[in-house]
Amino acid sequence: MELAIGIILAGCAIGAGLALIAGIGPGIGEGHAVAKACEAIGRQPESKGAVTSTMIMGCAIAETTGLYGLVIGILLIFVAPNLFVNILKNAVGK
Amino acid sequence: MRIDPAVKKETLYILGTSIILSVVMELVFWLVGHMDYTVPLGNLLGVGISVLNFFLMGLTIQKSIGLDEKAASDKLKLSQMLRMLMVVALAAVGVGLPCFHALAVVIPLFFPRIAIAFRPLLDKNLKQQPADDTTLD
Repeated sequence: MELAIGIILAGCAIGAGLALIAGIGPGIGEGHAVAKACEAIGRQPESKGAVTSTMIMGCAIAETTGLYGLVIGILLIFVAPNLFVNILKNAVGK
Repeated sequence: MRIDPAVKKETLYILGTSIILSVVMELVFWLVGHMDYTVPLGNLLGVGISVLNFFLMGLTIQKSIGLDEKAASDKLKLSQMLRMLMVVALAAVGVGLPCFHALAVVIPLFFPRIAIAFRPLLDKNLKQQPADDTTLD
């Protein structure tokens, strides 16, 4: 029983760590987008407002991808262990 | 520091849409029968996190506009990492503490994405309105 609970907890922790890797991608993407936006504004300074507005929206969309991973990670850390241990205990009890 | 009008406008748009979506979410909780004091508290925390995250992102973009490409890219990568840590910490507090409803904290994190998805519809309406006025005149 203890071994099974240990495996569940370890699985949740490893899964949460893997899910949080999703946070790396948006950072790289946003950095790339801002670099290109700076280049565009350098070429056409009059388009600064429009470029900034579009970029903010684009960055927010890119960041949602990271948030999906983050939410999965949080659920795996805080919600999943209790849930899975209870399922295991009920299964063993039967 | 002066806040760029574009950042202010977009943040206010996200805040307004988040408030509307929060009302819808609380209505759903009420209809399902899970409404108690933890839901509005969690909702407040979730909306606060998402709008703060969006505003800080806008500020970082505003600051990085004048920099060269490499510096701007590095600045935004660092900012994204720090903001993600902030969101993890605050969301963990919201999910961990019993005075906040976990779902009511997590769902508002996606409100900015939903608001942006509806943005083209709003833009289309705003663009059509002056055109309609001119035809009437």
